[in-house]
Amino acid sequence: MDNTVKRLLERLVRRIPSRMLKTTLDKWSRLTATQRQSIDYTESKWALTEKLLAICEENELTVKHIAELEMIHVIENPNLGMWHAFQLMDPQGDAHSVELTQFKEQFKSHLSELIRHVSIKIKKHTDEAVWIRIAWGDTFSRPNHLKPTYVVHYLQTPYVFLSSLTSKQKPLLSQALVLSTRYQAIKDANLSGRKLTAIRDLLMKQYLQVFPTKFPSPLAERNRVVSNLHIEKEQAGSAANRHQMACEAFGDGLLPQLQSAVYKLETKFRDHTNKTMTERDEPFRCVVKFASTNLLESLRHSASSGTQKVLKTVIRITIIVFCKEVSYVTITWYVTKSCRILTASLQVSTRGHQSPGRNSHIVMLLH
Amino acid sequence: MCALSSGVLSHLSLLEVKARSRKTQLQQHSRVMELKAKVEALKTQREQLKAQIQTHQDLQKLRLAMDKQCADEEEENMEEESENSKLLRLMARHTQLKDLLHAHHLIGGYDIIKTRKGKGACVSIATAYEDVFLDTFNLEIDLKPTVKISRHNIPPFIPLNNLAEQNNMQTDLRVFLDTLSKHLNAFAGRKQQLKLVKEKHKSVEVMESNVLCSLLVLLFTVPREKTAVLCTLDYTDHTRCLPTRVHLESEDKQLPDSPQWKKNCTLLMETPVHKALITMKKMGSIA
Repeated sequence: MDNTVKRLLERLVRRIPSRMLKTTLDKWSRLTATQRQSIDYTESKWALTEKLLAICEENELTVKHIAELEMIHVIENPNLGMWHAFQLMDPQGDAHSVELTQFKEQFKSHLSELIRHVSIKIKKHTDEAVWIRIAWGDTFSRPNHLKPTYVVHYLQTPYVFLSSLTSKQKPLLSQALVLSTRYQAIKDANLSGRKLTAIRDLLMKQYLQVFPTKFPSPLAERNRVVSNLHIEKEQAGSAANRHQMACEAFGDGLLPQLQSAVYKLETKFRDHTNKTMTERDEPFRCVVKFASTNLLESLRHSASSGTQKVLKTVIRITIIVFCKEVSYVTITWYVTKSCRILTASLQVSTRGHQSPGRNSHIVMLLH
Repeated sequence: MCALSSGVLSHLSLLEVKARSRKTQLQQHSRVMELKAKVEALKTQREQLKAQIQTHQDLQKLRLAMDKQCADEEEENMEEESENSKLLRLMARHTQLKDLLHAHHLIGGYDIIKTRKGKGACVSIATAYEDVFLDTFNLEIDLKPTVKISRHNIPPFIPLNNLAEQNNMQTDLRVFLDTLSKHLNAFAGRKQQLKLVKEKHKSVEVMESNVLCSLLVLLFTVPREKTAVLCTLDYTDHTRCLPTRVHLESEDKQLPDSPQWKKNCTLLMETPVHKALITMKKMGSIA
C-alpha cells in the first residue's frame, strides 16, 4: 500500500479520539455497512489502524479519500491548530455576487496556474463556510498530504481564516484568493487563535453586543431571583449600572473565547524622579500581552464586580519593553469606570539604579 | 421622611441629624416660629405648583393648536409674542418632536439617543418582516470632531463603509441611516424567507444559499413524473426582498418553457418565495 496513505491514516487514527471515530467514519461513507460493523472501537489505536488499512486496501482507497476523512475531522473540530485571520481589501464591482461554483472553479484554476502540483479540496459546510484543504507540491514533487493548509472563507464577507501556511506558500495562496473572490488585496487582520469559532465570532460580530438604548427590549429582562422580600440590596442600583457598563464594553452572554491578545505599544515614561527614563527622546516600544483562559469574560467580570485591581490569577499580563535601561518590570492593571481605558502602573528598574524606580503611568486605549 | 428606596444607610444618617438637632432646640416659643416658617414654605410651594399646572395647561392648549395647524398646513401666525409665549411655543414644539420620535420607534423606525454627554449618539435600527420584529442592529457614532462610526454590530457582508461614503454620512446622516435601514430590513426579510422555506417546505431542497441571502438555489420535484427542476433566485438588488432574476433548469428541456412554469417564474419574481411555494404546491406544479 502507498506509504503516504499509510502514514496519513495512522496519524489520523491517532488524532481522532476513539469516541468520535465511529461518527467520523460514518460521515465519511467510504466504507460499506459490513465493513463498518466489523470494526471494534474498543481495540487499541494500533489495532484499529491495522484494521482500517486493510479495509482501505480492500476498497482501493487513495490518499485523496483519506484526505477527505481528515477534512471531515477538522471541520468537526475547528478549535484545534493555530488559525490566523486575514482581511480582503477593496472589493471590485462583482465581489458581492460571487457564488460558490464560480469561486470554486476560479480558485482551483488560479492556484493550479501558480503552482504545478497542488491538490485542492473544497467543501461547503452547513453554516455557509467554504472549507478548502490544500496539499502543496512543486515542479518536481507530488503534493505533500502530510502538511496540508486549511482555509475557511464565508462568501460575501472580507474575512479568510488560514491554518498551517508557510511563508513560501503565503503569496501564492493570497494571489489565488484575491483573484477568485474579486477583491484587490489581502492583509493580515492581526487576529490569531486556537479557537476558530472565537476569532470568527469576533470578526463576524456573532456575539451579543450591548448598546445604550432608550427602549430596552422587554423580552430581555433579567430574571431577578428574589430570595427574600424583606431584604433589599443597598448596592443593587450601582451594581446593575456597573454590569451594564461592563456588558457595553465587552458584550453580553457567551463571549468568544479569546485566550490571548497582543498589543504593540509606543509610549512615554512619566515620573519626575527618574530622569534617565523621562529624558529619552524616542518613545518606549513595548509589546503587551494579555493571557487568560477566557480573556473577555475575565475583563468583563472584573469590570462588573467593581474591583479596581484586575486579579492577577485571572489574567496574566506580560509587558516586554524594548529598551536597554530596563531590567525588570512588574505590572498592576487598573480598570477605570468607562472600562475602555486600562491604566497600567509600571514599576521599572533601571540599570545603574540600585533601588527600583517608582511607579509611572502608561495609558492604553483598549478598542 | 425619606423613601426606603434611598437606602437604609441614608435613612439612618437622617435620623442621626434629627436627633442631634433636637438636642440644640430652644423652648416652645421657637417652636411657633418654626411652624410659621413652615407655613410660608408650604405656601410658596403651593404657588409654584399652581404655576406649573397653569404652564402645563397652556402647553396642552398650544400643542392642540400646533397639531391642528400642521394638519391644516396654514401659515404660522407670527404676531408679536412675549418672552413667555415664545418659551411656551418652544416647549410645545419639543414635546411634539418627542412624540414624533416615539411614534417613529413604535412603527419600527430607528431610535437615536445621545451618549457621552452629547459627543456621541447611538442608533438602533429595528428590522421587521411580515409584521414580525426581527434583529435589531446598533451603531455608535462619534459626532465630535468628525462624524464617524466608532462601533457597531452590523454583520460584515453589509457594506457599511461603502454606504457611509456614498451617502455622505458626514453631511446627511438621515439619508445614510435610511439607506442602511433599507439594506438591513431587506436582508432580514430575505433571511426570514429562507428560514420559512426550510421550515415549512421540507419537500423543497435548498441546494445553495449564502450569508447575505442574495442567492438561493432550490430543487423542486414535479409530482407525477418525478422530474427535478433546479430554480435559481438571484437577489442582486440588496435593498429588496424579491429576486431580480429567476432561472429554471430541468432534465426535461421543454418544462421551463411550458406556460405553467412561465407562470411560476413570474410568481417567483413577484411574490416572496415561501408564499410562492404554497401557491405552486396548490397548483400541483411541485410536490
